[in-house]
Amino acid sequence: MAVAVDRVLTQPGRRPRIVRAQRRAAGFLFVLPAAAFIGVFFLVPLGLAAWVSLHDWPLFGATSFTGFDNFMALVRDGAFWRSLWFTTRYALLVTPPIFLLGFALAMLANARAPGVGLFRTLFFLPNVVGFGAACLLWYFMLNDQYGVINAALRRVGVLEGSLLWLAKADTALAIIIAMVVWKTAGGTMLLLLIGMQAIPEDLYQAAAVDGAGPWERLRSITLPLLKRTFALALVLSITGSYLAFDQFFILTQGGPRNATTSIVQLITNTAFSSFEVGYATTMAFALLGVLIVLSSMQLFLLRDSTQY
Amino acid sequence: MTERVRSLLSRRDLLRVTGAAAGLAAAGSLGLPSAARAGRRAQGEPVAFWNRDDGQVLVEPIVAAWNETHDVQIEATFIPSEQFVQKFAAAVAGGEAPDLIAVDLVYMPAFAAAGQMTDISEQARALPFFGQLSPSHMRLGTYQDKVFSLPFNADGSFLLYNKNLFRQAGLDPEAPPTTWVAIQEAAQKITAAGGGASGFYFSGSCPGCNAFTLLPYVWASGGDVLTEDGTQATLTDPSVKAMLEFVRGLWDGGQVPQAAQVDTGEDFFNAFTSGTVGMAGTGAFSIAELKGEYPDIDFGVTPLPGREGGQSSFAGGDTIAIPAGSERVEDAFAFMAWYLSDEVQIEQLAKNNGLPLRTDLIENKYSAEDPRYIVAGRAMSEGRTPYTEKYNQLFNDSGSPWLAMLQRAIFDGEVDEAIAEAQQSFTDILAG
Repeated sequence: MAVAVDRVLTQPGRRPRIVRAQRRAAGFLFVLPAAAFIGVFFLVPLGLAAWVSLHDWPLFGATSFTGFDNFMALVRDGAFWRSLWFTTRYALLVTPPIFLLGFALAMLANARAPGVGLFRTLFFLPNVVGFGAACLLWYFMLNDQYGVINAALRRVGVLEGSLLWLAKADTALAIIIAMVVWKTAGGTMLLLLIGMQAIPEDLYQAAAVDGAGPWERLRSITLPLLKRTFALALVLSITGSYLAFDQFFILTQGGPRNATTSIVQLITNTAFSSFEVGYATTMAFALLGVLIVLSSMQLFLLRDSTQY
Repeated sequence: MTERVRSLLSRRDLLRVTGAAAGLAAAGSLGLPSAARAGRRAQGEPVAFWNRDDGQVLVEPIVAAWNETHDVQIEATFIPSEQFVQKFAAAVAGGEAPDLIAVDLVYMPAFAAAGQMTDISEQARALPFFGQLSPSHMRLGTYQDKVFSLPFNADGSFLLYNKNLFRQAGLDPEAPPTTWVAIQEAAQKITAAGGGASGFYFSGSCPGCNAFTLLPYVWASGGDVLTEDGTQATLTDPSVKAMLEFVRGLWDGGQVPQAAQVDTGEDFFNAFTSGTVGMAGTGAFSIAELKGEYPDIDFGVTPLPGREGGQSSFAGGDTIAIPAGSERVEDAFAFMAWYLSDEVQIEQLAKNNGLPLRTDLIENKYSAEDPRYIVAGRAMSEGRTPYTEKYNQLFNDSGSPWLAMLQRAIFDGEVDEAIAEAQQSFTDILAG
């Protein structure tokens, strides 16, 4: 019944032209604030940035139009590609553990048990810590003399002496990934938990009646119906990883020997340390392009087709 | 005070942008059409003076002293050190540049070359003490024979040593090392004396700290990393290789604490104040800090030596300049001249543990009480500073080829490869 009424109301041609025009005008008015906001704070700066990227635009002094020279230079810029590859590697390495842990925590936190609220809070807590503060915390925990991480590893006998985690690119990357997983898995858990709780309970009951075990229920109900949530969390996680800055800036400063320079750090360095705003903006555009492509691919691969 | 100089040395001139979107927006806002328009403050309003926040302790009393005795008032604004250049750039782009800025001297060639500073050659050269102003500050403040800035504060690097540890190791605390071999031997003895002490310290992941404290070893040995005009890299100079091998030897021999490798500058000075480091390069700020906060540490200061002797120093610090387009050039310059006068230099600066900016005032009634200030003052007056518009890219940046060279040579032992790589990067940057 409701559907039928709705259809009548929206059926074209059934209403006088003037009412439709009014409705359309009202619609425009309603979206206007949001559109104006996006226009002023996103599209205009984006347009300006596009303009800047076509210039030799130093932080100080005279600018000159150089067309696509910056983009041509970017293609040949080894530092840019190394940094992009490093960031990609980081995104690929950090995302699976975040998801596995986030999913496991969500399963645990989804249980109906006394005190589960407390655990949800605990799992989510690291997410509330500011990224900068978390990095500094880990910086001190990683200290070879008084840091708790080396001390703990020595205690369980994994380590003798002390390890300078940030001195080598591999161990630095490994420990930064561990930190980021600790810090962000709770956020992914929260997203997945919301998705899980949106799955109607009767599906599980029906499956139980049909004799499906826990594994079957997970595979046939939870995972397919979480697809949309997964897509959201994945896009957020990959985008976040590509925009990583604080952890490398604070913990390694992009070192040793530039081996952990993330792309955003390279952009900031180029703009504010080398004073080449035009070229930095070009890099930012390239990154934007990469992110658009990656996000579209993810959304396409995880497009929602599961219905029950 | 530590904070002030730490960031003076381990400059991280990076705006904390947390995403590419923010980066785009930032670039976009800087992208507003800009000519170096002026800070339009009419006569009668205070002169706007921008400083780094880490200089606040030094600058506030001086500005207060000026304001008490002059009709023209100065309004000091303190900007977080690591954001100074960006904030200033944004102000210039927005037509809101201040009338006076105090900025790290290494930036002055770049600022002057970009046409951001007012030419003050005429007024400056008329100053009776023009010839006595800190030479390195004046060199960096001069671009194409025009003077754009005057010295504001000085910090020459020198070698700090712990006399207690020297005694423990059986070394004469009044005869600090004057050659690299002597440093090496002293470091070995201090480390060997035990008690958890290390002979030597440097911040292995801090580009600025090491420009400040390791470049002088090269200079004192007769070499340099850039040509005089700053247009060519000269890292293939044998004294660069010798310096790298010298520090590599200290590292390899265990004279340096392991943690130095990952120190991005946080422990540049703290390592020494822990009382477990025998020798470390540092700057004048450390004297006041050690005297005030660490009275238990009996320390001495001595020049950074060359390979076989000689000495040099990195002349660091800030210069004071008038941004292009200011309508208050006369008032702003009056403050600069007043600041550099005998009275203010002695009774404001030297009295409060600062270094006078004039070579004729290094020896004064306050430094006579603590001759360590004379060593620091000499370090400033005889010090050098690389003159290049690309200072950040070459040296100061965390991704700089300078730091990459040090790390590869010292920690990985690939001295020749490190030099070749850095020489190439320097050449590319200087050409670009």
